[in-house]
Amino acid sequence: MSAPPSQKAGRLRRGVGQERLLAVALSAIVALMVLVPLVAVFVGAFGDEDGFTVTALTDVLASSRVLGNTLTVGLGTTILATGLGGLLAVILVRTDTPWRSGLEQLVLLPLYITPLLTAVAWSWLGSPRGGLINLLAQSALGLSGSLVNLHSAGGVVTVAALAYAPLPFLLISGALRGMDPALEESARVHGASITAAFRRVTMPLALPALLGSALLVFVQSLGLFSVPAVLGMPASFYVAGTEIYRLLNSYPARVSQAAGWGLLLLVVTAALVALQAAILKRRSYVTITGKAFRPRIVQVGRWRPVLLGIVLLYVLAAVVLPVATLCWAALVNFITVDPKLMSFDLRHFAYVLFTYPKTLLAARNSLVLGLLTATIICALGLAMAWVIVRSRGMAARFLDQVGMMPLAIPPIVLALGLLWSYVGLSWLPIYGTIGILLLAYVTHYLPFGLRALSSAVRQLHPELEDAARVSGASLLGTLRRIVLPLTRPTLVATWTLLFILSLQEISSSILLYTAPSTVLSVAVFDLWEAGNVNALAALSVMQLLVTFAALAVVARLRQKAVAA
Amino acid sequence: MSPAFVSVEDLVIAYGDVRAVDKVSFGIVAGEQVTLLGPSGCGKTTTLRAVAGLERPRDGRILIDGKPAFDGSAGIDAPPEKRNLSMVFQSYAIWPHMTVFENVAFPFRVRGRPTAELKPAVDKALELVDLARFADRPATMLSGGQQQRVALARAVAFGTKLVLLDEPLSNLDAQLRLQMRDELADLRKRLGFTALYVTHDQEEAFSLSDFVVVMRGGRIEQAGRPQEIYRNPRTRFVAEFLGVRNILPCELAHGGGEVRLPDQTVLRGREVEPGAPAEAPAIAFRPGDVRLGDQPGPGQGGSGVVTRSLFVGDVQHVFLKSGPIGLCAHVRPRPGLEEGKTLFWRVAPEDCLILRK
Repeated sequence: MSAPPSQKAGRLRRGVGQERLLAVALSAIVALMVLVPLVAVFVGAFGDEDGFTVTALTDVLASSRVLGNTLTVGLGTTILATGLGGLLAVILVRTDTPWRSGLEQLVLLPLYITPLLTAVAWSWLGSPRGGLINLLAQSALGLSGSLVNLHSAGGVVTVAALAYAPLPFLLISGALRGMDPALEESARVHGASITAAFRRVTMPLALPALLGSALLVFVQSLGLFSVPAVLGMPASFYVAGTEIYRLLNSYPARVSQAAGWGLLLLVVTAALVALQAAILKRRSYVTITGKAFRPRIVQVGRWRPVLLGIVLLYVLAAVVLPVATLCWAALVNFITVDPKLMSFDLRHFAYVLFTYPKTLLAARNSLVLGLLTATIICALGLAMAWVIVRSRGMAARFLDQVGMMPLAIPPIVLALGLLWSYVGLSWLPIYGTIGILLLAYVTHYLPFGLRALSSAVRQLHPELEDAARVSGASLLGTLRRIVLPLTRPTLVATWTLLFILSLQEISSSILLYTAPSTVLSVAVFDLWEAGNVNALAALSVMQLLVTFAALAVVARLRQKAVAA
Repeated sequence: MSPAFVSVEDLVIAYGDVRAVDKVSFGIVAGEQVTLLGPSGCGKTTTLRAVAGLERPRDGRILIDGKPAFDGSAGIDAPPEKRNLSMVFQSYAIWPHMTVFENVAFPFRVRGRPTAELKPAVDKALELVDLARFADRPATMLSGGQQQRVALARAVAFGTKLVLLDEPLSNLDAQLRLQMRDELADLRKRLGFTALYVTHDQEEAFSLSDFVVVMRGGRIEQAGRPQEIYRNPRTRFVAEFLGVRNILPCELAHGGGEVRLPDQTVLRGREVEPGAPAEAPAIAFRPGDVRLGDQPGPGQGGSGVVTRSLFVGDVQHVFLKSGPIGLCAHVRPRPGLEEGKTLFWRVAPEDCLILRK
């Protein structure tokens, strides 16, 4: 028999107090992380040395060409990527198209190849002069002009859509899987044809996912940097993301104008998030639960080869061609379409590894950033997720809302805000070190970790924790002995994903790096600007190898978790 | 009466303006079992969780073994781990990342007890619930009934004097529930712990407890020994909840002991609360106490037309209608109970309860 509760122990404020302390501490951290750069963008856009001014904003609104380009790329990419992702989701989740599970894995790969590398590869394939497709067309068909020109608005939109289609695919296929097939079956039983049931039941139920993914893509493409930098800048086609980069890299740097652009992007995305919330509020569905159903497979008959063709075409354009081009360019002595001139060796790899001075520094920085970002987000995210799911207080709602906010902040705007907040801040000298990049990465990717870990905690029956408390474990003991081990599979998968994502981040890195704090994606971009295509390809191929190795590890761990 | 081992005094638990538990008081004598009985949402589980320290009350007092675990006015609120009790959860709450043995050993482990010390106690608890041979199994590879036993073993292994049980049998199928009910009674008799039990099942409550507290809307509706509550439900709510299906509104006649039904039938019955104000007087009797005949017989009663007659096995449920009143009788199945027949019903005065609210 253990000791009875003593009077002294009885006077201790109990778990609720500790919970509140944890919630308040986390709220403070998240508020500093997310809100400070946002405020800084506001301050930056409205102020210069002379005080309050609206010149930056009027300048921005006056540059109608860039505004138009940004809107074209934003809307075009959103429509194309959401349509493509939704189509792929319906084909791979709801029809009897062959090789579905394998294709599903391939369709997700562009997420890991990154928009930057996809754009680089397509630039080699489709630039008006010197693009491989055009060179081949000229030598084979004797054309004098160019067949395709991806250095254009259309090129930017197409390549960005190819790169971002996996996001809507993920969300919409998740929604389709989470839908009880009985809902559609009951529509059929009550007289609806397959298409009518799909149109009147399935589509409206998938609408939140559709809207959500459209919004996500729109926010991403509105502040897009990599694709327009690679495909647009050579043709002097500027969008907000590249414009911010240009303004900051002109001499003297036009910081407040850049902040004006950042503010505009923020206002637009905030308005859209509010609009989405308003639309979804009026139709709240509980039909899509966390439960996974076995979706009803529609027999498409003679349409099977057509649907298979659509998916294969996407995989070809978004995965096979870019990766093959990168590998080829990494191995060939120089870019040419004449087979007689081609020879293959590893000299570009040797150059990148041993001669190019930035590689090792960038690799080390990227590695450190990846490890730290993933670890910090997992720790912070798990604690936040636990507070959000388990407590009823204001702090929980605050954490949920502010923690998810970075999803609606284009990373280049976040970087702008951080730049504004921390340049010249003497008591926290993180600018010029990887510290400021770490802050950017942790803030930008926090929602990914938070979402994954929240759903993991939500799946834990609260009584598992209650049972531990009643059995004598303290709050922290319960987190350590029960919550941590039970969310371990999600933690490992989330950690690896975050590690990969941080290795690839470019949109905020490009504004925040300095010579000693350069990272891999910036090194790739530098090689692009220097025109050193073969070295770029070699570096990219190495980056892809690391990424896919990490992915293979996750896949193995998932299999083990399922088997256990 | 011996002093209470647990006493709950004027407990109030509120979420915003909603009072989930409103001034609830009861005590548990050492070694006895008290059951909180009521429909879902009546506050019974919330009360139990407050005793465990898993809900934070707004006001009131909870004393366990003479020491305050919660005291609203003194600002005392001991965390669950300091209250020295154990609990069986509705979901069993078996930790899936541990073996059966480790689940049961957990209360020892968190208190830093060495394996050599805890092993005999854990082994003994597993033997008590007949799971010794599953000790090294991952806890997830057990059936529902077995998980339930692990939860029981974990609750009794450490030897806390107070065990809380939150609808422990509700997730089991009917047959297993009966079996586990008997095992639970045995276990408590053998180990002698004090128990607070929550259920919505009256049979479970009556068969296992020394004292039953019927709750409704966060308040105590009636409390007493099982036989007493069964025989004398004091309100319409308790009567309904305990399966008294015939509750007929009526007028009180002759100052007490006699009522008049809307169809003018006069019935005598027992007054449950003679002095209380007659807010909504009704006469109540169980369908099983009603007898049916083809002819008017001796004793009190009336006649009615059979509107529905359901054969459910051991008994026939016969529904009668007589003018504005309808009633139900459970009788042995026989010919002559068909719909449309006119039958005469009788009920003994000692089986009739006169309710005043």
